[in-house]
Amino acid sequence: MMRITKLLFFGMFAAFLFNSCSKDDDSVLEQPSPAGEYADGIFVLNEGSQSAGTVTFISSDLQNLEQEIYAEVNEGDDLGLYAQSMFFTEELAFIISGGSNLITVVDRYTFELIGKIDSGLAGPRYGVAVDGKAYVTNQAAWDTNEDDYIAVIDIESLTVEETVLVNSVAEEIIEGNGFLYIQNAAYGAGNQISIFNPSNNTIEGTITTGDGLNSIDIENNKLYALSSGKFESFDLSTHHIISEITSENLKGAQNIDVENGRVYYTISNGVYSFESTATEPASSPLIEYSSNSDWGVMYGFEVKEERIFIADGGDFASNSFVEIYSTGGDLLERIEVGVGPNSFYFNGY
Amino acid sequence: MRNRQFYIFLLLLFQVLPGQAQLDSITVLDEVVVDSKLQNFSTGQTLINLPDSLTRGTTPLLTSVLNFYTPVFFKENGLGMVSSASFRGTTASQTAVLWNGININSQLNGQTDFNTINIVGYDNIMVRGGGGSVVYGTGAIGGTIHLNTDLSFREKVENELFFEYGSFNTLDAQYRLKAARGDWSASIAAARQHSDNDYAYPDEKGENMNGQFYNNTLNLGVAYRLNNDNIFRLYTENFYGNRHFSLIRPSETKTKYRNENNRYLLEWENKAAVFTSLLKIAFLEEYYRYYGNIASENFSYGEAENYIIGYDLKYNFSDDILFNIDLTNTYTEGEGSNLGRNSRNIFSAVTFIKHRLTEKFTYEGGLRKEVTENYESPLLFSLSGSYRFSDFYSLQVNASRNFRIPTYNDLYWTSAGNTDLNPETSLQGEVGNRFFWQNFELNLTLYYIDIDEMIRWVPGNDGLWRPRNEDEVRTYGTETFLNWNKRLGDLHIDLNGSYAYTVSENLKTLKQLIYVPYHKGTMAAVVDYNNWEFHFQYLYNGEVFTRSDNNSRYNLSSYSVFNSGISYAFGKKRNSRLGVRGLNVFNKAYESVENRWMPGRNFKINLTLNF
Repeated sequence: MMRITKLLFFGMFAAFLFNSCSKDDDSVLEQPSPAGEYADGIFVLNEGSQSAGTVTFISSDLQNLEQEIYAEVNEGDDLGLYAQSMFFTEELAFIISGGSNLITVVDRYTFELIGKIDSGLAGPRYGVAVDGKAYVTNQAAWDTNEDDYIAVIDIESLTVEETVLVNSVAEEIIEGNGFLYIQNAAYGAGNQISIFNPSNNTIEGTITTGDGLNSIDIENNKLYALSSGKFESFDLSTHHIISEITSENLKGAQNIDVENGRVYYTISNGVYSFESTATEPASSPLIEYSSNSDWGVMYGFEVKEERIFIADGGDFASNSFVEIYSTGGDLLERIEVGVGPNSFYFNGY
Repeated sequence: MRNRQFYIFLLLLFQVLPGQAQLDSITVLDEVVVDSKLQNFSTGQTLINLPDSLTRGTTPLLTSVLNFYTPVFFKENGLGMVSSASFRGTTASQTAVLWNGININSQLNGQTDFNTINIVGYDNIMVRGGGGSVVYGTGAIGGTIHLNTDLSFREKVENELFFEYGSFNTLDAQYRLKAARGDWSASIAAARQHSDNDYAYPDEKGENMNGQFYNNTLNLGVAYRLNNDNIFRLYTENFYGNRHFSLIRPSETKTKYRNENNRYLLEWENKAAVFTSLLKIAFLEEYYRYYGNIASENFSYGEAENYIIGYDLKYNFSDDILFNIDLTNTYTEGEGSNLGRNSRNIFSAVTFIKHRLTEKFTYEGGLRKEVTENYESPLLFSLSGSYRFSDFYSLQVNASRNFRIPTYNDLYWTSAGNTDLNPETSLQGEVGNRFFWQNFELNLTLYYIDIDEMIRWVPGNDGLWRPRNEDEVRTYGTETFLNWNKRLGDLHIDLNGSYAYTVSENLKTLKQLIYVPYHKGTMAAVVDYNNWEFHFQYLYNGEVFTRSDNNSRYNLSSYSVFNSGISYAFGKKRNSRLGVRGLNVFNKAYESVENRWMPGRNFKINLTLNF
């Protein structure tokens, strides 16, 4: 009798062990290094759909892969609905989940939870950190742009300490020369960038771009803007226009990323590139990747250190994939990630 | 050209009905069935009857009743929240709900939210599996749900008051009057339901926040018999619901939803020799407001008004042959925050013949054609036969083409609606076997449905979302019902069960659709002994995929839920009853939609007064 009980107990214990092991099998990563398991590699943010967003980690040699790292590190906790974007300080990563009005703050090297910002946000989109503060765009009610605002967050206390109305749609926000540039355009409509001064939390001016502005970037003291059929660059000190290209070949162009003096962008499933000083856009793609996605083609795009990263949204109801190319156009890896991958971020690059 | 074909079709219109309709339904408890049209034209199909004697004493929202007694699967966003049906693996807009014979699925999204229907006003609820578009129009692919109020002239005056109070400050209050005298019959039912709905999820999974709701329902029915050949009936239903939609995480924006449904139906039934005609005039109104942030007064809204006039003529050619023609015109006006104002008119012509060829063999056939400028309307048909081999066994077969028409949202959504859409169409068939043995009845159905032109919203080249006729789905499976009842002296036992096996796959990917369980089973029993009544309900839902690639890692687990209750009748004529119920008595943590946990164990106490 005694024996059977022991056996049963052992059986249960074994089952427990087995269960825990099988969970680990989902990740293919070697043992964590004490310096921070995620100190050297790429984060892929997966938006999720009905389920919460997740983060996939890919080591910089592209050989190791770990899915759902936030849940893995933090005992099954999740990031909330519609993981929209991430931004960073030296030590921290901020993960914005628009559907849950939530920013999850983690150690950027270990992904251990530091805290959550769960009040004062309404449809948060993008953020940037400058001098101990974080600035996050919020679209608030979807049916109006009048209530869109910047939440100014104290990074020490992780609380929203001030909100500033943008008086226009508030989408991407990026930093350059001590100013913040807010893209006042979303979903194919809008032609303006607001200039925000973080030292007094006011909008000090605007820059007008072509109609249908869809993406902006800053490099080498220049602000670049891509709108429907038009490429423009502005001087970051004077905010005056430096150059512009209007071309049929830019119809449908999106996802501008300027890297090492080259302008990269996408049209449909193609990646294009030209010298930032050029007067004509590219006429043929550098890369064309194949996608079955109805509405997630080029859902995420980034160029970093001679590599081109493409995320395919898939059907938003199952795991999708990313493809990584050399800037020469050679496919390096195709990697399965989570649901609806939408952006890439880098550690140790 | 299209018109011409239609007129030719009109010339061919006849229709039929059987002299003596067999009662072809499984009656879950023995009661009289009131819907003659349903009985007449369901020759090859399974009907399940849920009389009010059964549904009384369960939570009065339609979701709860159907969930515990039928194979229809429900996706419920938490208790009392939005609830949509999947019948035989089909989508939420492919199950039609009929109120006294009138299709009441929303004009805006084509669906019925089963938590916006309080069943207090219905004397019976019938569930008919399989295609029914020929008779019932759009959405009758997976099956149809029939909500009927009885206005018979059997003399009576019956008042009933019902109060139930329970966990989460939940109150159900109902009043019903059934009265008939001479040539008049009346039915009144009023109900109020409210709940704080702030339950804790079992296993410390959190708490239901912002889930409070209330609703009010008023149903009236009046029938007047002018003489033996002419009867007038008026039915009305008014529903008002106010629900906060529950949150998954505390930081989410709180929302709420208000909706109103007003329904009015006037019927004139006339009998003249071998002809029975029914003239119907109906007005249906639906209205909703959605508050995307309860802190703000801003809302989005949608509304539709439906004006229906119909003429239904039955011709008893002989005792064994029945013809039927039904001509109906439906005019709809709708508008909303994102809809503009649009109207549409649909004229439909239906013809049926039912023929009892021999004592044992009956067949029927029907055709339906609609004329509208909105879409190309296919010719629908239905063919059925039933053969009674013995008192012990009968066989039923049915084949039909059915459809779901594009909704207002599909057609007119601002800058996205697509007026070139075709209806979703199905071609389907089923074989039903019915076994009877003493007090035991078993029904086993096999079905196959091929659905084409499924409407799905996808973005176009310009990035705008538009609905398109995209997908093709096939579903097949089995449905089983059983009923057994036994009287042993003072002891009366009634037992019902159902089981469904459902495969529903996207033909492009050959993957099972998400949120369609392969297995669903129910079991319910009522035991009466003297003044005591004991009941239990059991529900099993198999695991469902939440990912389109059927990655099982993300499946929602299967679950079993038990409810149980006991009540005691007292008073001189045992006309009062006091009861208690325990719901989810084993405190199972379960969800039918990801992250939408249902309540754990909870209790209710109720009092019924009949006078």
